[in-house]
Amino acid sequence: MKRWARSESFSAWAFMTPGLVFLAIFTFWPILYGIPLALTDYSVIAETRYVGFENFTRAFQDHNFTVSLWNSLVYVLIVPIIQVISILMAILVNSRLPGVKMFRAAYYIPVVTSMVAVALIWSWLLGNNGVVNYLLIQAGIIDGQVSWLSSSSTALYVLMFITMWKGLGYYMMLYLAGLQGIPSDLYEAARVDGAGPLRLVVHVTIPLLRPHILFCTLISIMGAVRVFDEVYILTKGGPGTSTLTSSVYIFQKGLEQFNFGYASALGLIVSVIIGALSILVFRFNRKGGVNSY
Amino acid sequence: MRTNRSGFILSLLVVMALSMLLAGCGGNGNAPAPTTSANGAEPSAEQTDTPKSEPVTLEFWTIALQPTFNDYFNDLIAKYEESHPGVTIEWKDYPYDAISQRLLTSTASGKSPDVVNLNTEFASQLGSKGALLNLADHLTAEEAGSYFEGIYNSTVFDGKAYALPWYTGTEVLFMNKKLVEKAGLDPSNPPQTRDELIEWARQVHQKTGAAGYAQQLVSKLFPIDGISILNEDKTAAAFNTPEAEAMISKMRDLMKEGVVLKEDADFTKQIQYFSGEQVAFQLSGPTFINFIKTSAPEVYANTIAVQLPTGKANLRLSNSMDLVVPQKSKNPEQAVEFAAFVTNADNQTAFSKVANTLPSSKASITDPFFTKSDGTLEAEAKVVSSQSLDKATDYMVGVPSASDINSALARGLQEILLNGADIKETLDAVEKEVNGIIKQGS
Repeated sequence: MKRWARSESFSAWAFMTPGLVFLAIFTFWPILYGIPLALTDYSVIAETRYVGFENFTRAFQDHNFTVSLWNSLVYVLIVPIIQVISILMAILVNSRLPGVKMFRAAYYIPVVTSMVAVALIWSWLLGNNGVVNYLLIQAGIIDGQVSWLSSSSTALYVLMFITMWKGLGYYMMLYLAGLQGIPSDLYEAARVDGAGPLRLVVHVTIPLLRPHILFCTLISIMGAVRVFDEVYILTKGGPGTSTLTSSVYIFQKGLEQFNFGYASALGLIVSVIIGALSILVFRFNRKGGVNSY
Repeated sequence: MRTNRSGFILSLLVVMALSMLLAGCGGNGNAPAPTTSANGAEPSAEQTDTPKSEPVTLEFWTIALQPTFNDYFNDLIAKYEESHPGVTIEWKDYPYDAISQRLLTSTASGKSPDVVNLNTEFASQLGSKGALLNLADHLTAEEAGSYFEGIYNSTVFDGKAYALPWYTGTEVLFMNKKLVEKAGLDPSNPPQTRDELIEWARQVHQKTGAAGYAQQLVSKLFPIDGISILNEDKTAAAFNTPEAEAMISKMRDLMKEGVVLKEDADFTKQIQYFSGEQVAFQLSGPTFINFIKTSAPEVYANTIAVQLPTGKANLRLSNSMDLVVPQKSKNPEQAVEFAAFVTNADNQTAFSKVANTLPSSKASITDPFFTKSDGTLEAEAKVVSSQSLDKATDYMVGVPSASDINSALARGLQEILLNGADIKETLDAVEKEVNGIIKQGS
């Protein structure tokens, strides 16, 4: 007993338990509770009936839900772009260039800024009479004002850009931590073998960053599928269903229209999709890192 | 390895036990289960009429009225408690965005408030789902008749009255005098109909470059033009008509022309456009004044308020706040009595004077406060809008799935007007969707 209490794993579990308790109460339990909820027409305020799999069949016939899933999957397209740019940014701020600390801070500011503030600022910048239109018209790139957030052809991509702009600094920091964990003798050895800067990145940096790339890709995919704040604040899913993402639709069904049973079913479907995407990412990123796993 | 496993199992057990224990704290008879729980129109078992002699505490919730109106409510509550010995009013105030969540969570945990301030949309939604007390059973004909019919009837479904109207606001037409005069129009002779307003907007756009007005693409645009959203017995969509096509087509042309801004502009955006003199007109309630007063004082000084030009339906929409009594209130009798007291003519008049709102009780608007203007924009808007209360109604779809239907229509309008979708095809698709929603009934 004494030996067990002194063991490393006991300490590890002791440290993890408080966090796990919170996770259990606020994450695992609601997920489990969502399963029976999805089989009812629960709305808190009215009589609750058991409806079996009706919510699921309704979901697959629900055109808006299909559109919202599609939009969420389109949103996933920003994941590789974010990863590439944030790795390059991390390499840049990891160098010994003058003023690099200032860049590091500047890139990180959007991350710590509240999404509500970010969304409002972008809504002004992107307004019909906003700075973005003014600059693009001055530069001769566009002829007249563009309603960036009120047009189906641009709204979703603009939102994706805002998400990317805000997230870059976060992933940059994670990659920076990864870069600083790469032993410098590996670079030296590669240099002795005649590797140039590009080869160093391709053959040393990227392979050794793989665990970080896996982690960042994973949370970035989850974030993209679950994107909510910027969409809800800026477009509420409009115009029409152009920017309706699954999280926004689930929120509208549950917390605005009180169809909690249906919203739970939609949530479960989206969770399964996120799970499947995560498994795919794991399959593609099995090897790599300083300590291969 | 063994210690590892036993540590894991121990932690897992602790976690599971704690989560079950804590999750169980919120458990109640209303938790969903594959069974039927009675929570319909019948009073629930826990709802008991407390005899008058026993002391009762009524929980009274309002939306965003503290601390501005603390004095008014503290006086009102003191007056009521004095005349009703044994009744204690516990007043709580929540932000607009939080009240629906609070009500849901308190209902779910079996601790329902007794009198709640809600807007008509939310009140009718809860009422049609059977979550509110039918006040018609508790009011005298005289009490029910003391409110403006249009507003009172906004929350009446199947003969059941789910809310008492409280303070309200009707839309008026705000005009930027500078832009209107620049366009060669006479603001002292304002437009009377929607068509005239469009003509004015067109002239403003041609002569000044500013747009006429911005609007939100919402379902109420149909009833304003006399197009019913649902049929008489609320069993099917009724908006897919040639009139609706014509209305939307006209709106699309106006947006193309630049007379109406091609945007789904919510209230915040409308304030920005009017403040920035990008539009000459604004169609909204008097609360709009407070916003432009702070955001653009020079525009405020140049703005006048006139009666809102009506559409084909010749009705003016109001946005009312109501008082409701949740079905799960433990003191329904006393709750209704208190709600009727808060919304009676004297108290509504007094509240309008401190809050600069409009009353929903007929007797209130005979007060000089609502008939005489001192020339300020606020007073003009107040006089103009109070005189149109007899035509006012909070248009409600009036079925449990109203918000689903409203958002389907709003999405359809956006598809057509902003995304360039075909009018007929979109109306057909939205009609199919709305009929599906009605059939689903949730």
